[in-house]
Amino acid sequence: MKPNRMTSPCKLTLSEWDGRYAELVRAGLREPDYGGPLSRHVVSEGDLRLRRLRFDDSPAALRLWNFLLTENQRLRQARARGDKIVGAMKDLGTVPVMAYSLPGVRAFYPDGAWWTPCLMECSDGLLQQAEALGIDASFCPVRAMLAAFQNGEHFPRPDLLICSAGAVCDDFSAIAQRLEQTGFPIVWWEMPRRRLPEAGETALALPGNLSAPPIQVACVREELARLANVLGELAGRPLDAPALAGGIREANKVRRLLAALRRTVYGAPGAPLPALEMLIAEMLAIHFCSDREESVAVLADLLAEAESRLRQGRFAVPETAVRIFWVNPVADLRAMNLLEDWGGRICGSDYMFTHALEPIPEDLPPLEALARTALADPMAGSTLARAARLVADCRATRAEAVVVARIPGASHCAREGALIRQVVRRELGLPTLELEIPPVCDALLPMLGSRLQALIETGRQRRVKRVK
Amino acid sequence: MRLFYTSPWVPAEWIRAHGLEPRGVWYADDFAFEPAPLSAGVCAFAQAVVRLADLRPQSAVIFTTHCDQLRRGFDAVAGTVPGRFFLFNLPATWQTPVAERLFCSELERLSHFLVGLGGQAPSAERLQAVLDHYGRARRRLLQAAPACPARQYAEAIARFHWDGSVCLPEHSGPVGASIPLALVGGPLPRAQWRLLEVLERAGGRVVLNATEAGERSLWAAEPARDRGDAPASDGAGAQAGHIAGASESEAGRALACCVPPHPGPAHEPCSAAVSAAGSGGVSPPGGTRGKTPRALAGEDACATGLAREYLAHCVDVFQRPNTRLYAWLRERLDARGARGLVLWAYVGCDLWRAEAQSLREAFGRPLLLLDAEEVASGWPRITGRIEAFLEALR
Repeated sequence: MKPNRMTSPCKLTLSEWDGRYAELVRAGLREPDYGGPLSRHVVSEGDLRLRRLRFDDSPAALRLWNFLLTENQRLRQARARGDKIVGAMKDLGTVPVMAYSLPGVRAFYPDGAWWTPCLMECSDGLLQQAEALGIDASFCPVRAMLAAFQNGEHFPRPDLLICSAGAVCDDFSAIAQRLEQTGFPIVWWEMPRRRLPEAGETALALPGNLSAPPIQVACVREELARLANVLGELAGRPLDAPALAGGIREANKVRRLLAALRRTVYGAPGAPLPALEMLIAEMLAIHFCSDREESVAVLADLLAEAESRLRQGRFAVPETAVRIFWVNPVADLRAMNLLEDWGGRICGSDYMFTHALEPIPEDLPPLEALARTALADPMAGSTLARAARLVADCRATRAEAVVVARIPGASHCAREGALIRQVVRRELGLPTLELEIPPVCDALLPMLGSRLQALIETGRQRRVKRVK
Repeated sequence: MRLFYTSPWVPAEWIRAHGLEPRGVWYADDFAFEPAPLSAGVCAFAQAVVRLADLRPQSAVIFTTHCDQLRRGFDAVAGTVPGRFFLFNLPATWQTPVAERLFCSELERLSHFLVGLGGQAPSAERLQAVLDHYGRARRRLLQAAPACPARQYAEAIARFHWDGSVCLPEHSGPVGASIPLALVGGPLPRAQWRLLEVLERAGGRVVLNATEAGERSLWAAEPARDRGDAPASDGAGAQAGHIAGASESEAGRALACCVPPHPGPAHEPCSAAVSAAGSGGVSPPGGTRGKTPRALAGEDACATGLAREYLAHCVDVFQRPNTRLYAWLRERLDARGARGLVLWAYVGCDLWRAEAQSLREAFGRPLLLLDAEEVASGWPRITGRIEAFLEALR
């Protein structure tokens, strides 16, 4: 299929992308060394799910997907070059900023293995292997990580594992503890449950219009200082304030690009880029997909594409689509395609790491700045604080409905969905829906379809009423 | 005012010293389990706490951060009535100065909360007297652990968490040919003590109650007079110490009859025991902010000592790493000859459920995983599983 470049951008199937790729190559496409046709990942990595997804047709999206899908290979190459590999766990955006401040150190989130069963349509057997290790289906799909550590077939074994504890998801914490018991030592650090300052306490500003008392900021700062020592030992050179300040500046380049991309795409009348590519792009914030400099280039391409499409009024999702604010990441990437197929579009998101999207303050001592940013983690604070931010974001993005994606087995999902929906309905009167999406959702398509379509239809009817 | 607390790692001594009545939920007769109105995955214990908070509008409830379910249970009630609920941030790590500072700061914050409820910040002397009392009570309960029948022992510990008293049965139960077991896992409140009877009827005998508010919540700390970090007691504190000495001299009988924690009517709660000790030493309203620097220093030292003591003795599954739990269990499983483990895990409690295989691997003993659910209808199934487990151990 040849997309008409003068009309709307197309979403292509994997096989259609092969044709598009050949066309781009003939036209002189220049790619980074991890580039190539997308379909090769099905053969070489067993990423069977790609056959069911539909992708944006731009070279920028091609680069994004290749960047994502070659992460494990790139990590192995880095290891072969002598780089040290840090497995950061759970904090989603803090430890990698520190690790990448040191030359020759890379960090990634083994947590990301939670998408492996989806990408490989469970042919990897990771979930079954996790069950054999004592972590059954009552746990979040992140249990795939445990098996991936054991079989060593996905990411390389990190030289150092660092995991936050305290105000974190129980399922993740329990799985990480099990991991340690099976022979993978972990450096644990404390993340207190963020609270509001009380009478007599100073309120320290955190990114995201949040605040915390000095004692909590000090404790996190001290914990990060401890981690800095550990990372410095690994790197063979100290992680001092100037080095960390440099790392924060570089991380902020990524965050600012992402902020611009989100503004451009979510704020546009139609969606210049599809929801699926935006979800992947947002994920780059947390550990730069194991290559900080390249993630800047990938995001810059996407932003340029989105701005170009916006200028030309060419949208991947039409203006008529109902604007959906999406909460929590989906275990099956296909759900993002389906939302758009059924008449919705993403206008805003909280994929559990909004703190990683906020620029880290550069006018504070670096550890202090990072501690404040870490404390802004939506999962470390109260559900009500998360809901309050969500309400503000829904207002800013003119959301017409809210979807809370329930992660199967995740401890926070048992209660948070109901609380968030209650606040959203009270404050905004928007229709809301809570959906559980397993790693491969095909069997649930009729149910997902009817529920999402009902939500979208409700959003559309409210739009009509407002016009009348 | 009654103040319910939901984790044994919230220092009840601290609440008592503020002149309020700490009540561990495990003994509350209306702490009941009902089907959760929410979607699947809500832990029955956390839901029961939320329900208790709704049912007891005149009481306050202290939640803790040690698990996601309780933490978010607090979120569910926090917006309803200001000032009646408190979320105590229990550090998950325990090896660092940060953990101690966090714990200390939570004690200070709890103090302000308690003062807001009508309590009074304690003097160092009053606090010390309460600490001494609780220390003695824990030691007495610990001494009784090896010989006390499981059902009565569970009740005795719950009673201690309820009002600070020690009430032990006069005689130990018959040992017979029953199979020694360790009961490990989450909370086992009064409504679920039936489990202990079921285990016994099936031919088992719980020789180690390592549920949340079981023997794990007890420790034999050094008496305050031997601790370097505690301020010296005044006469009133010494009085409390004298009472302790008298009680402990009788404790040669391992299982003494219901001994109140102080002279007075049997079952009198411990508030009376320390009231004399603290009567002259209560801080002015407004908490520590109005106190003299000298008094503050004594209080702070006590609070720091209390935080250290709790951090030093906290043995729980949520800690990272939770190696202390395994060390604690290993010592007692061996000493008591437990032949099998029964893991009591709430549906939705990832923290305990994830330990099942690690417990099997660590101790090499058979393990039965039992689901603690919200309704009693599961007892026939639980009974059947227990009987099969014990049959395999015979």
